[in-house]
Amino acid sequence: MAEIRLETLAHRYSPGGTYALKPLDMIWRSGGTYALLGPSGCGKSTMLNIISGLIRPSEGRVLFDGQDVTAFDTGRRRIAQVFQVPVIYRSMTVGQNLGFPLVCQGVPAAHRRKRVEAIAERLGLTGALNRPANALTADQKQLVSLGRGLVRDDVAAILLDEPLTVIDPQQKFELRRILKEINAEFGVTMVLVTHDQTEAMTFAEEVIVMNTGEVVQAGSPRDLFERPLTRHVGSFIGAPAMNFLPATAQGGAAVVPGTGLSMPLPEGAGSALSLGFRPEHARLATADAILSGTVTRLWFEGLDEIIAIRHPAGEIRLRAPAGTGLVPGDTAGIALDPGRLRLYLDDRLMA
Amino acid sequence: MKTLYLALKYLAVTLWSAFVIFPFLWMLSTSFKTSNAVTGGATWLPWAQFEPSLAGWKSLFGGAGGINIVKPYINSVIVTGSASVIALVLGTLAAYGLSRFTFRAGPLRNGDITFFFISQRIMPPIVLAIPFFLMLRWLGLLDSLAGLILVYVAALMPIAVWVMVDFFNTIPRALDEMAWMDGCTPVTTFFRVILPNVLPGLVVAGMFCLIFGWNDFFFAFTLTFTETQLLPVSIVALNSSVTPWWSLSAAAIVSVAPLAVLAFVVERFLAKGGLAGAVR
Repeated sequence: MAEIRLETLAHRYSPGGTYALKPLDMIWRSGGTYALLGPSGCGKSTMLNIISGLIRPSEGRVLFDGQDVTAFDTGRRRIAQVFQVPVIYRSMTVGQNLGFPLVCQGVPAAHRRKRVEAIAERLGLTGALNRPANALTADQKQLVSLGRGLVRDDVAAILLDEPLTVIDPQQKFELRRILKEINAEFGVTMVLVTHDQTEAMTFAEEVIVMNTGEVVQAGSPRDLFERPLTRHVGSFIGAPAMNFLPATAQGGAAVVPGTGLSMPLPEGAGSALSLGFRPEHARLATADAILSGTVTRLWFEGLDEIIAIRHPAGEIRLRAPAGTGLVPGDTAGIALDPGRLRLYLDDRLMA
Repeated sequence: MKTLYLALKYLAVTLWSAFVIFPFLWMLSTSFKTSNAVTGGATWLPWAQFEPSLAGWKSLFGGAGGINIVKPYINSVIVTGSASVIALVLGTLAAYGLSRFTFRAGPLRNGDITFFFISQRIMPPIVLAIPFFLMLRWLGLLDSLAGLILVYVAALMPIAVWVMVDFFNTIPRALDEMAWMDGCTPVTTFFRVILPNVLPGLVVAGMFCLIFGWNDFFFAFTLTFTETQLLPVSIVALNSSVTPWWSLSAAAIVSVAPLAVLAFVVERFLAKGGLAGAVR
């Protein structure tokens, strides 16, 4: 349960090579939930391995509660990790698995048993304590991994490296709920690595979006949804992705030709402009439509329908309550609250 | 249909067993024969077909025309046993290192180093005979158990490394990393977490070492004179101008026995599933 601070942290796997992780600064509060989100190879696993001490960063420092742990071995960092593929001490029972960190610390057997029993009870593993750990299902193994972090009362943080990837959808939901509960109950800092935006957005209080070794945006799920700092974030977060239409400068405004989409243009802004808005923020309209086009496709999503509309400026998607009655080929118009419109220059948010 | 399949299966197994067991039965009956019984055509049943004699067995323990094989036997057990244990311990440690940590010796990387170990078994042993002889002489260990053990360790360790590297590679690195996070030192990680998972590998590598060590004649022959004899050498010494089939058969039985018993026990152990599930 520690505050994790990353100071000008960066890593290159070979001296003078390209950055696997570009310099970054970050503070994660004690007891917080954080998600590192990005496609594979974006540097999120590198970051996780630096925190756990499996990789020594080539630049910068890692601090736990103000203490510089950059030079500490993994064993001294008091970290627990749940791996992507369930890893377990196969030669031991469930109980021995849970107690192993305490064995390594030399905790007396009596105290150890009490802690193990308490944690097993909390995780619903009491009945399995004396069973070989190998016989557990994948989601139970992940629980045991989590439990190994919880038995030690000094754990600094629990790192979750795509822990739900190989779990059945049913148990996935359950496990995610348990993770949240455990975080609230034990106040343990949790860092989740994932490439699944839903997982990141529902789990973490702060999501760190990464791409090609760089932190693109760090913020609350709402921030990421409302104000994506780059077009990449806008496309990556949210389903369907954010709409982007190329815009041109016309008398102090950025305008998408042939539509009513327009935003005031700051002084000296260049040429590669685009306007973006969320499919969720647009609505179907006839009278006050700011653009209209031909419906090309429809997706049914329970209460909602996703409607794709073709316009000369590009394809637009919007989320509308189901039952619109539209079919491909119809003409549809959309309206949008101007406050929801975002202006991007060279793929970066301007306003 | 199923019964027919079963019947055919058992028939095949029975035929194969007979084929495998026959030489042993032949050896056993020959070991109780005399010169006349051996040359007098194929006979099987003692008393009924030939008069059994203990001469062959007696000659193994210093009887007439024989050699006492007790001491060479004990020597063989000591040399093979200690060399196998040492090779297994060193080889397993080396294999773990090669599987887990990055090494560089000049241009050589982990894979090359592993191959270097294995390559020791590629050349014919005769190539090593003179170097080994010179080295042992320099150490003053010619014709001694210690010298033989050293040589056997060198010969057996590549086998242990080769088998164990593969076994360690099947164990996910995440297991080591997890143990480090739990506060294990690399040494306790190896002994408490990793080693229990490679028990089948240890058994396999140990069997290989014991079989190769026990069966070796070449080094035992070239590096010893009179003081220290190993079993294969003394069995060959039993031979003379008139081949003593009876004592050779008896010797063959006692020399094969320990490996046969070992194979039986290990097979039981592996088949019982005592080790199944330890990996994966």
